[in-house]
Amino acid sequence: MTSPLLAVKDVSKHFGGVAAVNGCSMSISEGSVVGLIGPNGAGKSSLIDLISGFERPDSGSVVFAGRELVGRRPDVISRMGLIRTFQTPREWRDLSVIDNVRVGRSALSRESIWRSLTSGARLRREEAAENQELFDLMAHYRLDGVRNVRASGLSGGQKRLLEFARIASAKPRLTILDEPMGGVNPVLGERIGEAIRELKRAGSTVVVVEHNLPFIEKTCDEVVVMDLGSVIAQGHFDELRNNTRVVDAYLGNDDE
Amino acid sequence: MLQYWTAILTEAAIFAVLALGIDMIWGWAGDFDLSAYAYFALGVYMTMVMTIGKPQAPVVYILGWHLPYPVAVILAVVVVVAFAAIIGAIALRSLREVYFSITTLGAVWAIYYAVENYTPLFNGYNGVYGLVDPLGGGLSYNAYHYLFLGFCLLVLLAAYVVVQHLSTSPFGRMVRAVRDDERAASVYGRNVFWAKYRTYLFGAGLAGLAGGLFAAYIGAFSPLDWKPTEIFVLYAAILVGGRGNPKGVVLGSFIVYVGFVEMTRYIPSPAARPELGPALRQILIGLLIVLMLKYRPSGLLPEKLGDDGTIRRRSWPERLLRSSGTASNEPELLQGSSKDEVAP
Repeated sequence: MTSPLLAVKDVSKHFGGVAAVNGCSMSISEGSVVGLIGPNGAGKSSLIDLISGFERPDSGSVVFAGRELVGRRPDVISRMGLIRTFQTPREWRDLSVIDNVRVGRSALSRESIWRSLTSGARLRREEAAENQELFDLMAHYRLDGVRNVRASGLSGGQKRLLEFARIASAKPRLTILDEPMGGVNPVLGERIGEAIRELKRAGSTVVVVEHNLPFIEKTCDEVVVMDLGSVIAQGHFDELRNNTRVVDAYLGNDDE
Repeated sequence: MLQYWTAILTEAAIFAVLALGIDMIWGWAGDFDLSAYAYFALGVYMTMVMTIGKPQAPVVYILGWHLPYPVAVILAVVVVVAFAAIIGAIALRSLREVYFSITTLGAVWAIYYAVENYTPLFNGYNGVYGLVDPLGGGLSYNAYHYLFLGFCLLVLLAAYVVVQHLSTSPFGRMVRAVRDDERAASVYGRNVFWAKYRTYLFGAGLAGLAGGLFAAYIGAFSPLDWKPTEIFVLYAAILVGGRGNPKGVVLGSFIVYVGFVEMTRYIPSPAARPELGPALRQILIGLLIVLMLKYRPSGLLPEKLGDDGTIRRRSWPERLLRSSGTASNEPELLQGSSKDEVAP
Protein backbone atom coordinates (compact mmCIF):
# COMPACT_ATOMS: atom_id res chain seq x y z
CA MET A 1 0.00 0.00 0.00
CA THR A 2 1.30 3.42 -0.92
CA SER A 3 1.73 6.11 1.69
CA PRO A 4 -1.26 8.43 2.03
CA LEU A 5 -1.32 11.90 0.46
CA LEU A 6 -2.20 13.47 3.79
CA ALA A 7 -1.41 11.91 7.14
CA VAL A 8 -2.54 13.62 10.33
CA LYS A 9 -0.93 12.07 13.42
CA ASP A 10 -1.94 12.76 17.01
CA VAL A 11 -2.63 16.43 16.44
CA SER A 12 -3.87 18.49 19.39
CA LYS A 13 -4.79 22.12 19.77
CA HIS A 14 -6.08 23.90 22.85
CA PHE A 15 -7.63 27.33 22.88
CA GLY A 16 -7.42 28.47 26.48
CA GLY A 17 -8.74 25.53 28.43
CA VAL A 18 -10.75 24.12 25.55
CA ALA A 19 -9.34 21.21 23.56
CA ALA A 20 -10.56 22.02 20.05
CA VAL A 21 -8.61 19.17 18.53
CA ASN A 22 -7.45 16.36 20.79
CA GLY A 23 -5.12 13.62 19.59
CA CYS A 24 -6.61 13.56 16.14
CA SER A 25 -5.31 11.13 13.53
CA MET A 26 -6.47 10.34 10.03
CA SER A 27 -5.08 9.59 6.63
CA ILE A 28 -6.33 10.54 3.20
CA SER A 29 -5.26 8.52 0.20
CA GLU A 30 -4.60 10.16 -3.13
CA GLY A 31 -7.44 10.35 -5.62
CA SER A 32 -10.30 9.94 -3.15
CA VAL A 33 -13.14 12.19 -2.14
CA VAL A 34 -13.41 12.07 1.63
CA GLY A 35 -16.25 13.45 3.71
CA LEU A 36 -15.36 14.90 7.10
CA ILE A 37 -18.40 14.89 9.35
CA GLY A 38 -19.20 15.42 12.98
CA PRO A 39 -21.51 17.46 15.20
CA ASN A 40 -21.00 21.19 15.68
CA GLY A 41 -17.92 21.84 17.76
CA ALA A 42 -16.34 18.50 16.90
CA GLY A 43 -13.20 20.31 15.73
CA LYS A 44 -13.56 19.93 11.97
CA SER A 45 -12.83 23.54 11.08
CA SER A 46 -10.06 23.73 13.67
CA LEU A 47 -8.47 20.67 12.14
CA ILE A 48 -8.57 22.31 8.70
CA ASP A 49 -6.91 25.42 10.15
CA LEU A 50 -4.17 23.21 11.62
CA ILE A 51 -3.61 21.35 8.35
CA SER A 52 -3.55 24.49 6.20
CA GLY A 53 -1.20 26.42 8.49
CA PHE A 54 -3.59 29.05 9.84
CA GLU A 55 -3.14 27.61 13.33
CA ARG A 56 -0.16 25.78 14.73
CA PRO A 57 -0.89 22.55 16.61
CA ASP A 58 0.34 22.18 20.20
CA SER A 59 1.56 18.72 19.31
CA GLY A 60 1.38 16.13 16.56
CA SER A 61 2.35 16.12 12.91
CA VAL A 62 0.73 16.67 9.54
CA VAL A 63 2.48 15.12 6.57
CA PHE A 64 1.42 16.06 3.05
CA ALA A 65 2.97 14.29 0.07
CA GLY A 66 5.85 13.19 2.27
CA ARG A 67 6.56 16.62 3.76
CA GLU A 68 5.81 17.94 7.23
CA LEU A 69 3.37 20.86 7.22
CA VAL A 70 3.52 21.88 10.87
CA GLY A 71 5.40 25.14 11.23
CA ARG A 72 4.93 26.24 7.63
CA ARG A 73 2.99 29.34 6.63
CA PRO A 74 -0.36 28.97 4.84
CA ASP A 75 1.02 30.41 1.58
CA VAL A 76 3.92 27.94 1.60
CA ILE A 77 1.50 25.05 2.20
CA SER A 78 -0.65 26.35 -0.65
CA ARG A 79 2.29 26.38 -3.01
CA MET A 80 2.91 22.73 -2.10
CA GLY A 81 -0.47 22.01 -3.70
CA LEU A 82 -3.07 22.31 -0.96
CA ILE A 83 -6.01 24.67 -1.39
CA ARG A 84 -8.73 25.07 1.21
CA THR A 85 -11.95 27.06 1.43
CA PHE A 86 -13.72 28.67 4.36
CA GLN A 87 -17.28 28.32 5.60
CA THR A 88 -18.22 31.58 3.93
CA PRO A 89 -17.02 32.30 0.39
CA ARG A 90 -13.99 34.57 0.48
CA GLU A 91 -13.94 36.27 -2.88
CA TRP A 92 -11.67 39.27 -3.46
CA ARG A 93 -14.56 41.64 -3.39
CA ASP A 94 -13.20 44.63 -5.29
CA LEU A 95 -11.62 42.56 -8.02
CA SER A 96 -13.62 41.59 -11.08
CA VAL A 97 -14.81 38.00 -11.28
CA ILE A 98 -12.30 37.16 -13.99
CA ASP A 99 -9.48 38.71 -11.97
CA ASN A 100 -10.48 36.51 -9.04
CA VAL A 101 -9.92 33.48 -11.24
CA ARG A 102 -6.71 34.98 -12.67
CA VAL A 103 -5.25 35.47 -9.21
CA GLY A 104 -6.40 31.93 -8.41
CA ARG A 105 -4.08 30.64 -11.12
CA SER A 106 -1.17 31.73 -8.96
CA ALA A 107 1.27 32.61 -11.70
CA LEU A 108 3.53 33.95 -8.96
CA SER A 109 6.59 34.67 -11.08
CA ARG A 110 4.64 37.37 -12.90
CA GLU A 111 4.06 39.32 -9.74
CA SER A 112 7.53 40.76 -9.38
CA ILE A 113 7.69 44.56 -9.41
CA TRP A 114 10.81 44.40 -11.51
CA ARG A 115 9.24 42.19 -14.19
CA SER A 116 6.09 44.33 -14.23
CA LEU A 117 8.18 47.39 -14.99
CA THR A 118 10.64 45.89 -17.43
CA SER A 119 8.58 43.35 -19.36
CA GLY A 120 5.01 44.49 -18.84
CA ALA A 121 4.06 43.95 -22.47
CA ARG A 122 5.23 40.36 -22.35
CA LEU A 123 3.26 39.70 -19.16
CA ARG A 124 0.18 41.12 -20.84
CA ARG A 125 0.66 38.86 -23.85
CA GLU A 126 1.15 35.83 -21.62
CA GLU A 127 -2.07 36.61 -19.80
CA ALA A 128 -4.01 37.29 -22.99
CA ALA A 129 -2.90 33.89 -24.27
CA GLU A 130 -4.57 32.28 -21.29
CA ASN A 131 -7.82 34.18 -21.71
CA GLN A 132 -9.65 31.55 -23.74
CA GLU A 133 -8.90 28.88 -21.19
CA LEU A 134 -10.26 31.14 -18.45
CA PHE A 135 -13.37 31.99 -20.48
CA ASP A 136 -14.11 28.28 -20.93
CA LEU A 137 -13.59 27.65 -17.26
CA MET A 138 -15.94 30.47 -16.32
CA ALA A 139 -18.58 29.36 -18.79
CA HIS A 140 -18.32 25.94 -17.20
CA TYR A 141 -19.19 27.44 -13.81
CA ARG A 142 -21.94 29.64 -15.28
CA LEU A 143 -19.96 32.79 -14.64
CA ASP A 144 -19.42 33.90 -18.22
CA GLY A 145 -22.14 36.54 -17.99
CA VAL A 146 -20.53 38.19 -14.99
CA ARG A 147 -16.85 38.01 -15.89
CA ASN A 148 -16.35 41.77 -15.68
CA VAL A 149 -18.47 42.38 -12.63
CA ARG A 150 -17.08 43.26 -9.22
CA ALA A 151 -17.03 40.01 -7.24
CA SER A 152 -18.87 41.64 -4.34
CA GLY A 153 -21.89 41.98 -6.66
CA LEU A 154 -22.34 38.24 -7.09
CA SER A 155 -25.12 36.28 -5.42
CA GLY A 156 -24.26 33.82 -2.67
CA GLY A 157 -24.54 30.89 -5.06
CA GLN A 158 -22.37 32.56 -7.69
CA LYS A 159 -19.74 33.19 -5.06
CA ARG A 160 -19.71 29.45 -4.29
CA LEU A 161 -19.24 28.70 -7.98
CA LEU A 162 -16.52 31.34 -8.24
CA GLU A 163 -14.70 29.52 -5.46
CA PHE A 164 -14.77 26.34 -7.54
CA ALA A 165 -13.62 28.16 -10.66
CA ARG A 166 -10.74 29.60 -8.67
CA ILE A 167 -9.78 26.17 -7.32
CA ALA A 168 -10.03 24.61 -10.78
CA SER A 169 -7.67 27.24 -12.16
CA ALA A 170 -5.22 26.66 -9.30
CA LYS A 171 -5.11 22.88 -10.02
CA PRO A 172 -4.31 21.78 -6.46
CA ARG A 173 -3.26 18.29 -5.46
CA LEU A 174 -5.47 18.37 -2.39
CA THR A 175 -8.62 20.47 -1.93
CA ILE A 176 -10.26 20.89 1.45
CA LEU A 177 -13.78 22.30 1.27
CA ASP A 178 -15.28 23.66 4.48
CA GLU A 179 -19.06 23.40 4.14
CA PRO A 180 -19.37 24.16 0.43
CA MET A 181 -23.15 23.70 0.68
CA GLY A 182 -23.74 26.40 3.30
CA GLY A 183 -26.64 28.61 2.20
CA VAL A 184 -26.98 26.83 -1.12
CA ASN A 185 -30.30 25.76 -2.66
CA PRO A 186 -30.83 22.10 -3.60
CA VAL A 187 -30.50 22.65 -7.34
CA LEU A 188 -27.21 24.48 -7.01
CA GLY A 189 -26.24 21.75 -4.52
CA GLU A 190 -26.37 19.27 -7.42
CA ARG A 191 -24.03 21.49 -9.37
CA ILE A 192 -21.61 21.66 -6.45
CA GLY A 193 -21.65 17.87 -6.11
CA GLU A 194 -20.77 17.71 -9.78
CA ALA A 195 -18.00 20.30 -9.29
CA ILE A 196 -16.46 18.13 -6.59
CA ARG A 197 -16.48 15.09 -8.87
CA GLU A 198 -14.89 17.25 -11.57
CA LEU A 199 -12.12 18.24 -9.20
CA LYS A 200 -11.48 14.56 -8.61
CA ARG A 201 -11.42 13.85 -12.34
CA ALA A 202 -8.96 16.70 -12.79
CA GLY A 203 -6.61 14.92 -10.41
CA SER A 204 -7.29 16.55 -7.09
CA THR A 205 -7.93 14.68 -3.90
CA VAL A 206 -10.86 16.28 -2.07
CA VAL A 207 -11.84 16.51 1.60
CA VAL A 208 -15.35 17.87 2.20
CA VAL A 209 -16.69 19.05 5.53
CA GLU A 210 -20.45 18.93 5.37
CA HIS A 211 -23.50 18.42 7.55
CA ASN A 212 -25.71 17.24 4.72
CA LEU A 213 -25.38 13.46 5.07
CA PRO A 214 -27.24 12.43 1.89
CA PHE A 215 -24.89 14.74 0.00
CA ILE A 216 -21.85 13.14 1.67
CA GLU A 217 -23.18 9.67 0.89
CA LYS A 218 -23.64 10.54 -2.75
CA THR A 219 -20.40 12.42 -3.28
CA CYS A 220 -17.76 10.79 -1.11
CA ASP A 221 -15.81 7.54 -1.42
CA GLU A 222 -15.02 7.50 2.25
CA VAL A 223 -16.08 9.26 5.44
CA VAL A 224 -14.16 10.44 8.49
CA VAL A 225 -16.22 11.09 11.61
CA MET A 226 -15.03 13.48 14.29
CA ASP A 227 -16.37 14.12 17.75
CA LEU A 228 -14.92 16.07 20.71
CA GLY A 229 -11.77 16.91 18.80
CA SER A 230 -10.73 13.50 17.60
CA VAL A 231 -11.54 11.05 14.85
CA ILE A 232 -13.90 8.37 16.10
CA ALA A 233 -14.33 6.45 12.87
CA GLN A 234 -13.15 6.30 9.28
CA GLY A 235 -14.55 4.12 6.52
CA HIS A 236 -17.27 3.69 3.96
CA PHE A 237 -20.59 5.33 4.62
CA ASP A 238 -22.45 2.02 4.85
CA GLU A 239 -20.12 0.66 7.52
CA LEU A 240 -20.48 3.79 9.61
CA ARG A 241 -24.25 3.74 9.50
CA ASN A 242 -24.19 0.83 11.92
CA ASN A 243 -21.36 2.17 14.09
CA THR A 244 -22.90 2.98 17.47
CA ARG A 245 -20.30 5.61 18.36
CA VAL A 246 -21.08 7.50 15.19
CA VAL A 247 -24.79 7.28 15.71
CA ASP A 248 -24.39 8.44 19.31
CA ALA A 249 -22.21 11.34 18.38
CA TYR A 250 -24.70 12.53 15.83
CA LEU A 251 -27.96 11.80 17.54
CA GLY A 252 -27.00 12.08 21.19
CA ASN A 253 -27.04 9.25 23.66
CA ASP A 254 -29.98 8.93 26.02
CA ASP A 255 -27.88 7.17 28.66
CA GLU A 256 -25.65 10.17 29.24
CA MET B 1 0.44 86.35 -10.43
CA LEU B 2 2.31 84.09 -12.82
CA GLN B 3 4.92 83.50 -10.14
CA TYR B 4 2.17 82.68 -7.71
CA TRP B 5 0.67 80.06 -10.00
CA THR B 6 4.08 78.62 -10.80
CA ALA B 7 4.64 78.14 -7.09
CA ILE B 8 1.26 76.53 -6.49
CA LEU B 9 1.51 74.18 -9.44
CA THR B 10 5.03 73.17 -8.44
CA GLU B 11 3.86 72.31 -4.94
CA ALA B 12 0.82 70.49 -6.30
CA ALA B 13 3.02 68.41 -8.63
CA ILE B 14 5.35 67.51 -5.75
CA PHE B 15 2.44 66.57 -3.52
CA ALA B 16 0.93 64.50 -6.31
CA VAL B 17 4.09 62.36 -6.34
CA LEU B 18 3.75 61.95 -2.57
CA ALA B 19 0.05 61.11 -2.93
CA LEU B 20 0.83 58.44 -5.54
CA GLY B 21 3.10 56.78 -3.00
CA ILE B 22 0.59 57.01 -0.16
CA ASP B 23 -2.15 55.66 -2.41
CA MET B 24 -0.10 52.56 -3.19
CA ILE B 25 0.10 51.84 0.53
CA TRP B 26 -3.51 52.71 1.35
CA GLY B 27 -5.43 52.39 -1.91
CA TRP B 28 -3.82 49.22 -3.19
CA ALA B 29 -2.62 47.43 -0.07
CA GLY B 30 -5.28 48.82 2.27
CA ASP B 31 -2.86 49.96 4.97
CA PHE B 32 -3.79 53.35 6.41
CA ASP B 33 -0.27 54.58 6.95
CA LEU B 34 0.37 57.74 8.94
CA SER B 35 4.14 57.89 8.75
CA ALA B 36 4.51 58.77 5.07
CA TYR B 37 4.94 62.45 5.87
CA ALA B 38 8.07 61.54 7.84
CA TYR B 39 9.44 59.77 4.76
CA PHE B 40 8.73 62.89 2.76
CA ALA B 41 10.48 65.10 5.36
CA LEU B 42 13.40 62.70 5.59
CA GLY B 43 13.71 62.93 1.79
CA VAL B 44 13.86 66.73 2.06
CA TYR B 45 16.44 66.73 4.86
CA MET B 46 18.65 64.08 3.29
CA THR B 47 18.67 65.78 -0.10
CA MET B 48 19.56 69.07 1.54
CA VAL B 49 22.40 67.81 3.73
CA MET B 50 23.88 65.99 0.76
CA THR B 51 23.87 69.01 -1.53
CA ILE B 52 24.28 72.26 0.43
CA GLY B 53 27.78 71.59 1.76
CA LYS B 54 29.38 71.96 5.16
CA PRO B 55 27.37 73.59 7.93
CA GLN B 56 28.59 76.94 9.24
CA ALA B 57 28.61 77.32 13.04
CA PRO B 58 26.34 77.51 14.95
CA VAL B 59 24.36 75.44 12.45
CA VAL B 60 25.00 71.70 12.69
CA TYR B 61 23.82 68.78 10.60
CA ILE B 62 25.09 65.42 9.41
CA LEU B 63 27.03 64.76 6.19
CA GLY B 64 27.28 68.28 4.75
CA TRP B 65 28.19 66.93 1.32
CA HIS B 66 28.22 68.72 -1.96
CA LEU B 67 26.85 66.02 -4.25
CA PRO B 68 25.20 66.64 -7.61
CA TYR B 69 21.42 66.97 -7.11
CA PRO B 70 20.29 63.77 -8.93
CA VAL B 71 22.79 61.65 -6.99
CA ALA B 72 21.65 63.22 -3.72
CA VAL B 73 17.99 62.52 -4.51
CA ILE B 74 18.71 58.89 -5.35
CA LEU B 75 20.68 58.45 -2.13
CA ALA B 76 17.92 60.20 -0.17
CA VAL B 77 15.38 57.76 -1.59
CA VAL B 78 17.63 54.87 -0.59
CA VAL B 79 17.86 56.20 2.98
CA VAL B 80 14.08 56.73 3.15
CA VAL B 81 13.38 53.21 1.88
CA ALA B 82 15.83 51.79 4.41
CA PHE B 83 14.00 53.66 7.15
CA ALA B 84 10.62 52.50 5.89
CA ALA B 85 12.01 48.96 5.80
CA ILE B 86 12.44 49.09 9.58
CA ILE B 87 9.09 50.71 10.36
CA GLY B 88 7.26 48.55 7.83
CA ALA B 89 8.84 45.37 9.17
CA ILE B 90 7.52 46.21 12.63
CA ALA B 91 4.12 47.57 11.63
CA LEU B 92 3.20 45.13 8.86
CA ARG B 93 4.38 41.88 10.40
CA SER B 94 1.17 41.12 12.23
CA LEU B 95 -0.61 44.44 12.81
CA ARG B 96 -3.54 45.45 10.65
CA GLU B 97 -6.03 48.26 10.29
CA VAL B 98 -6.19 50.59 13.28
CA TYR B 99 -3.31 48.83 15.06
CA PHE B 100 -1.12 49.35 12.02
CA SER B 101 -2.14 53.02 11.86
CA ILE B 102 -1.38 53.58 15.54
CA THR B 103 2.06 52.04 15.13
CA THR B 104 2.89 54.25 12.16
CA LEU B 105 1.51 57.26 14.03
CA GLY B 106 3.90 56.47 16.87
CA ALA B 107 6.74 56.17 14.38
CA VAL B 108 6.06 59.52 12.71
CA TRP B 109 5.91 61.42 15.99
CA ALA B 110 9.05 59.67 17.23
CA ILE B 111 10.86 60.78 14.07
CA TYR B 112 9.40 64.27 14.36
CA TYR B 113 10.55 64.81 17.93
CA ALA B 114 13.92 63.18 17.28
CA VAL B 115 14.55 65.58 14.39
CA GLU B 116 13.33 68.55 16.41
CA ASN B 117 15.28 67.82 19.59
CA TYR B 118 18.44 66.06 18.47
CA THR B 119 20.27 69.04 17.00
CA PRO B 120 23.33 67.29 15.47
CA LEU B 121 21.02 65.49 13.04
CA PHE B 122 19.34 68.28 11.06
CA ASN B 123 20.00 71.32 13.24
CA GLY B 124 16.98 70.59 15.41
CA TYR B 125 14.28 73.18 15.85
CA ASN B 126 15.93 75.75 13.60
CA GLY B 127 16.21 73.41 10.67
CA VAL B 128 18.45 73.23 7.65
CA TYR B 129 18.74 75.98 5.10
CA GLY B 130 20.71 76.60 1.94
CA LEU B 131 19.91 76.55 -1.73
CA VAL B 132 19.71 73.28 -3.55
CA ASP B 133 20.07 74.17 -7.20
CA PRO B 134 19.45 71.21 -9.48
CA LEU B 135 20.00 73.31 -12.60
CA GLY B 136 23.48 74.39 -11.67
CA GLY B 137 22.81 78.11 -11.18
CA GLY B 138 23.16 80.91 -13.69
CA LEU B 139 19.43 81.39 -14.20
CA SER B 140 17.29 84.28 -13.13
CA TYR B 141 14.89 83.70 -10.26
CA ASN B 142 11.86 83.47 -12.54
CA ALA B 143 13.49 81.35 -15.22
CA TYR B 144 14.64 78.94 -12.55
CA HIS B 145 11.16 78.54 -11.14
CA TYR B 146 9.51 78.04 -14.52
CA LEU B 147 12.11 75.45 -15.43
CA PHE B 148 11.76 73.78 -12.08
CA LEU B 149 7.99 73.55 -12.50
CA GLY B 150 8.59 71.84 -15.82
CA PHE B 151 11.05 69.49 -14.15
CA CYS B 152 8.56 68.63 -11.39
CA LEU B 153 5.81 67.97 -13.92
CA LEU B 154 8.18 65.67 -15.81
CA VAL B 155 9.06 63.75 -12.66
CA LEU B 156 5.35 63.52 -11.82
CA LEU B 157 4.62 62.20 -15.31
CA ALA B 158 7.36 59.59 -14.97
CA ALA B 159 6.13 58.59 -11.51
CA TYR B 160 2.56 58.38 -12.80
CA VAL B 161 3.54 56.20 -15.78
CA VAL B 162 5.45 53.81 -13.54
CA VAL B 163 2.71 53.63 -10.89
CA GLN B 164 -0.06 53.26 -13.47
CA HIS B 165 1.90 50.48 -15.13
CA LEU B 166 2.32 48.68 -11.80
CA SER B 167 -1.31 49.28 -10.94
CA THR B 168 -2.57 47.28 -13.91
CA SER B 169 0.18 44.65 -13.70
CA PRO B 170 -0.22 41.22 -12.10
CA PHE B 171 1.57 42.73 -9.09
CA GLY B 172 -1.05 45.46 -8.67
CA ARG B 173 -3.84 42.90 -8.97
CA MET B 174 -2.25 40.59 -6.42
CA VAL B 175 -1.75 43.41 -3.90
CA ARG B 176 -5.44 44.31 -4.19
CA ALA B 177 -6.40 40.68 -3.69
CA VAL B 178 -4.35 40.73 -0.49
CA ARG B 179 -6.15 43.93 0.52
CA ASP B 180 -9.60 42.44 -0.12
CA ASP B 181 -8.99 39.18 1.73
CA GLU B 182 -5.65 38.24 3.23
CA ARG B 183 -6.63 34.73 4.21
CA ALA B 184 -7.90 33.91 0.73
CA ALA B 185 -4.70 35.39 -0.73
CA SER B 186 -2.54 33.14 1.42
CA VAL B 187 -4.72 30.16 0.53
CA TYR B 188 -3.72 30.87 -3.07
CA GLY B 189 -0.03 30.98 -2.28
CA ARG B 190 0.56 34.65 -1.65
CA ASN B 191 2.93 35.76 1.08
CA VAL B 192 0.76 38.48 2.58
CA PHE B 193 3.52 40.24 4.49
CA TRP B 194 5.85 40.31 1.51
CA ALA B 195 3.12 41.69 -0.78
CA LYS B 196 2.29 44.49 1.64
CA TYR B 197 5.93 45.13 2.50
CA ARG B 198 7.01 45.57 -1.12
CA THR B 199 4.14 47.98 -1.73
CA TYR B 200 5.02 49.87 1.43
CA LEU B 201 8.65 50.29 0.43
CA PHE B 202 7.74 51.41 -3.09
CA GLY B 203 5.28 53.95 -1.72
CA ALA B 204 7.84 55.20 0.81
CA GLY B 205 10.36 55.55 -2.02
CA LEU B 206 7.93 57.82 -3.88
CA ALA B 207 7.50 59.86 -0.70
CA GLY B 208 11.28 60.21 -0.50
CA LEU B 209 11.40 61.26 -4.15
CA ALA B 210 8.75 63.92 -3.50
CA GLY B 211 10.93 65.10 -0.60
CA GLY B 212 13.91 65.31 -2.93
CA LEU B 213 11.91 67.58 -5.25
CA PHE B 214 10.66 69.70 -2.37
CA ALA B 215 14.25 70.21 -1.16
CA ALA B 216 15.05 71.99 -4.40
CA TYR B 217 11.88 74.06 -4.17
CA ILE B 218 12.29 75.52 -0.70
CA GLY B 219 15.43 77.10 0.70
CA ALA B 220 14.93 76.08 4.31
CA PHE B 221 13.31 73.19 6.08
CA SER B 222 12.64 72.95 9.80
CA PRO B 223 10.13 71.16 12.03
CA LEU B 224 7.95 74.25 11.64
CA ASP B 225 7.54 73.41 7.96
CA TRP B 226 6.12 69.97 8.39
CA LYS B 227 3.65 68.46 10.78
CA PRO B 228 2.75 64.76 10.68
CA THR B 229 -0.93 65.75 10.61
CA GLU B 230 -0.53 67.28 7.16
CA ILE B 231 -0.87 63.77 5.78
CA PHE B 232 -4.65 64.20 6.09
CA VAL B 233 -4.59 66.74 3.28
CA LEU B 234 -3.04 64.04 1.13
CA TYR B 235 -5.65 61.53 2.21
CA ALA B 236 -8.28 64.11 1.28
CA ALA B 237 -6.66 64.40 -2.16
CA ILE B 238 -6.70 60.63 -2.64
CA LEU B 239 -10.34 60.43 -1.53
CA VAL B 240 -11.42 63.21 -3.86
CA GLY B 241 -9.53 61.85 -6.86
CA GLY B 242 -10.22 58.16 -6.40
CA ARG B 243 -8.51 55.77 -4.06
CA GLY B 244 -6.59 53.11 -5.97
CA ASN B 245 -6.66 54.92 -9.30
CA PRO B 246 -3.35 56.69 -10.04
CA LYS B 247 -5.02 59.04 -12.53
CA GLY B 248 -7.57 60.01 -9.91
CA VAL B 249 -4.90 60.51 -7.29
CA VAL B 250 -3.04 63.00 -9.48
CA LEU B 251 -6.28 64.79 -10.30
CA GLY B 252 -7.30 64.87 -6.64
CA SER B 253 -3.92 66.23 -5.60
CA PHE B 254 -4.27 69.18 -7.95
CA ILE B 255 -7.90 69.80 -6.98
CA VAL B 256 -7.26 69.69 -3.26
CA TYR B 257 -3.95 71.46 -3.37
CA VAL B 258 -4.83 74.23 -5.76
CA GLY B 259 -8.53 74.46 -5.02
CA PHE B 260 -8.54 73.99 -1.32
CA VAL B 261 -5.24 74.61 0.31
CA GLU B 262 -4.40 77.65 -1.81
CA MET B 263 -7.79 79.17 -2.50
CA THR B 264 -8.84 79.03 1.12
CA ARG B 265 -5.86 81.20 1.98
CA TYR B 266 -8.06 84.04 0.78
CA ILE B 267 -10.47 83.50 3.65
CA PRO B 268 -10.10 86.79 5.53
CA SER B 269 -8.77 86.66 9.06
CA PRO B 270 -9.77 89.59 11.24
CA ALA B 271 -6.74 91.28 12.76
CA ALA B 272 -7.91 90.39 16.24
CA ARG B 273 -8.22 86.71 15.32
CA PRO B 274 -5.38 85.80 12.97
CA GLU B 275 -5.83 82.08 13.59
CA LEU B 276 -9.35 82.09 12.13
CA GLY B 277 -8.32 81.65 8.48
CA PRO B 278 -6.04 78.63 8.96
CA ALA B 279 -8.55 77.07 11.35
CA LEU B 280 -11.37 77.47 8.82
CA ARG B 281 -9.14 75.86 6.22
CA GLN B 282 -8.71 72.77 8.38
CA ILE B 283 -12.45 72.64 8.95
CA LEU B 284 -13.14 72.89 5.23
CA ILE B 285 -10.73 70.06 4.47
CA GLY B 286 -12.47 67.96 7.10
CA LEU B 287 -15.81 68.85 5.56
CA LEU B 288 -14.53 67.92 2.11
CA ILE B 289 -13.50 64.47 3.37
CA VAL B 290 -16.90 63.93 5.00
CA LEU B 291 -18.83 65.04 1.91
CA MET B 292 -16.75 62.89 -0.42
CA LEU B 293 -17.21 59.85 1.81
CA LYS B 294 -20.94 60.44 1.91
CA TYR B 295 -21.69 61.22 -1.71
CA ARG B 296 -18.88 59.75 -3.75
CA PRO B 297 -16.85 57.39 -1.60
CA SER B 298 -14.82 55.97 -4.45
CA GLY B 299 -13.78 59.41 -5.69
CA LEU B 300 -14.09 61.27 -8.98
CA LEU B 301 -12.19 58.55 -10.88
CA PRO B 302 -12.85 55.30 -9.03
CA GLU B 303 -10.45 52.39 -8.95
CA LYS B 304 -10.41 50.56 -12.25
CA LEU B 305 -11.81 47.08 -12.39
CA GLY B 306 -9.68 44.60 -14.31
CA ASP B 307 -11.70 43.10 -17.17
CA ASP B 308 -11.41 40.35 -19.73
CA GLY B 309 -10.32 42.62 -22.55
CA THR B 310 -13.66 42.54 -24.37
CA ILE B 311 -15.21 45.71 -22.93
CA ARG B 312 -15.43 48.87 -24.98
CA ARG B 313 -13.58 51.48 -22.99
CA ARG B 314 -15.32 54.76 -22.40
CA SER B 315 -13.14 57.81 -22.60
CA TRP B 316 -12.42 59.21 -19.18
CA PRO B 317 -14.51 62.41 -19.39
CA GLU B 318 -17.41 60.17 -20.35
CA ARG B 319 -16.71 57.89 -17.42
CA LEU B 320 -16.44 60.85 -15.07
CA LEU B 321 -19.89 62.00 -16.12
CA ARG B 322 -21.58 58.62 -16.08
CA SER B 323 -20.09 56.87 -13.11
CA SER B 324 -21.37 57.65 -9.69
CA GLY B 325 -20.30 56.42 -6.33
CA THR B 326 -19.61 52.75 -5.94
CA ALA B 327 -21.42 51.75 -9.12
CA SER B 328 -18.38 53.24 -10.84
CA ASN B 329 -17.15 51.67 -14.02
CA GLU B 330 -19.00 48.42 -13.83
CA PRO B 331 -20.73 47.54 -17.05
CA GLU B 332 -24.45 47.00 -17.30
CA LEU B 333 -23.97 43.27 -16.93
CA LEU B 334 -24.86 43.30 -13.28
CA GLN B 335 -28.43 44.28 -13.91
CA GLY B 336 -28.84 42.43 -17.17
CA SER B 337 -27.71 38.98 -16.30
CA SER B 338 -27.57 36.02 -14.13
CA LYS B 339 -28.66 37.27 -10.75
CA ASP B 340 -31.17 34.45 -10.64
CA GLU B 341 -29.84 32.24 -13.34
CA VAL B 342 -27.39 30.30 -11.26
CA ALA B 343 -29.64 27.30 -11.05
CA PRO B 344 -29.79 25.29 -14.23
